[in-house]
Amino acid sequence: MSSDEIEENEEEGNILVWLTGLAFLAAMIAIFIYVPTEKTEGVVQRIMYFHIPCAWLSFFAFFVVFICSILFLWKKDREWDIYSQASAEIGVIFCSLVLITGPIWARPIWGAWWVWDARLTSTLILWLIYVSYLMLRAQSDAGSMRARYAAVLGIVGFLDIPLIHFSVLWWRAFHPQPKVITSEGIGKGMDPTMLVTLGISLCAFTLLYFLFMGVRVRQEKLKDEIDRLKREKIYSS
Amino acid sequence: MNLFLNQISAIVWKDFVTELKTRELFSAMFVFALLVILIFIFSVNLSVVKASEVGPGILWVAFLFSGTIGLNRSFMLEKENGCLMGLMLVPADRTAIYFGKLISNFVFLSIMELFILPLFMIFFNIDLLGHLLPLLLVIFLGTLGFCALGTLLSSLASNLKTREIMLPILLYPLLVPIVIGVVRMTGQILTGEPLSEMMNWIGLTASFDIIYIGVSIMTIDHILEE
Amino acid sequence: MDNLGFLFAANAFVWGGIIYYVYTIKQRNRALEKDLELLKETLSKEG
Repeated sequence: MSSDEIEENEEEGNILVWLTGLAFLAAMIAIFIYVPTEKTEGVVQRIMYFHIPCAWLSFFAFFVVFICSILFLWKKDREWDIYSQASAEIGVIFCSLVLITGPIWARPIWGAWWVWDARLTSTLILWLIYVSYLMLRAQSDAGSMRARYAAVLGIVGFLDIPLIHFSVLWWRAFHPQPKVITSEGIGKGMDPTMLVTLGISLCAFTLLYFLFMGVRVRQEKLKDEIDRLKREKIYSS
Repeated sequence: MNLFLNQISAIVWKDFVTELKTRELFSAMFVFALLVILIFIFSVNLSVVKASEVGPGILWVAFLFSGTIGLNRSFMLEKENGCLMGLMLVPADRTAIYFGKLISNFVFLSIMELFILPLFMIFFNIDLLGHLLPLLLVIFLGTLGFCALGTLLSSLASNLKTREIMLPILLYPLLVPIVIGVVRMTGQILTGEPLSEMMNWIGLTASFDIIYIGVSIMTIDHILEE
Repeated sequence: MDNLGFLFAANAFVWGGIIYYVYTIKQRNRALEKDLELLKETLSKEG
């Protein structure tokens, strides 16, 4: 990487930082000031504006892991391995946040911290799958073996999601029916102000994902570079 | 095609001969499954809970746990003596190695299950003979799915430092759809429902089997690569 | 309206999670910097 390129990258990174910051500021204003309190559920309903974006972000991150895993096995390029690792990390972090905010929302509404409802259960299983993915990465030394194994697990894990979804759905279902996207079209079940707030929050979280991705990918590349130099040093002396 | 089948059968044959000579794996799996059932019988109060309600779950937990022992063994044995290297040096397709291992895992586990079933019948006072055929179909589908994914992951885990620990951690979350499916189906069969009542579960388990055999064929080359 | 605590807790956890991840990134950066310094030192000693 030339120094020009690094500078350019940094500039882009700075713009992204500012954009993300602004989006989160807007989201906070929208969540706590702009959007009116929902009648039946009260203030707690505002948790939704964190809960859904976190869920979206983690699913998106896992999808990126899947795509990058396929691309890695196909092209055998370290670049894709870095992407899937960074994406899996971010996905697990936000999946944990879904699993934490879910019970906090459920407690006042359903009267229990945890209900074995379909979507909560499948999110928990998803979390376990990708935690095991990260464990597999931590278990093996850097190199082509780790990248190949992780890619296989990334593919296998993502293909399991529809099966888990249906099995758990038939097992039992409690969750409020999706309000945002119903069979009548997108957003029919919600007030427009709620939709706007949710949209802003989704944007903010998506920007955060790209920000984290950028930072983590640059970090991993730097690490590769340092490792390479170290190895050269060892072999030359 | 003929060569491919020959390669598969050679691997299966090798596994069988080893097992017949040592008899390590089968006895370990059988005793372990029995112990799991026993521990569950102690942990639930059978005078309160109906046996036909908890029975299917216990049976499948026993199958899966002892199946994990078999999976752990299947590639580890090769790894320990450097035989996997030999297998890979043979001009055989990697897929043949996968299918050979899949078949021998599947057969070992199935035989073990056939031995466990009568004991299960006696311990839980459940009459299985009335609906044996649908039950065998469910066991076939479940065991095949378990072995399809399990063989792939055990070939992967055998190269890790902490293989015995990592295999269940990687395998169990992915097995959730199949576990829910077979336990549900077994429970429904024990209450006498016909197979046509649970076509959705059969479809789900069968697609699990097909998807994971397909994925394994496509990815095994990348795992067994040295 | 005594459910405000729940809203606050959820909000705090989300921000806590984000800050925690930023913290781990920072730590990894620090480790990398240390590595780089070490590398530079050994290189300059030789050169």
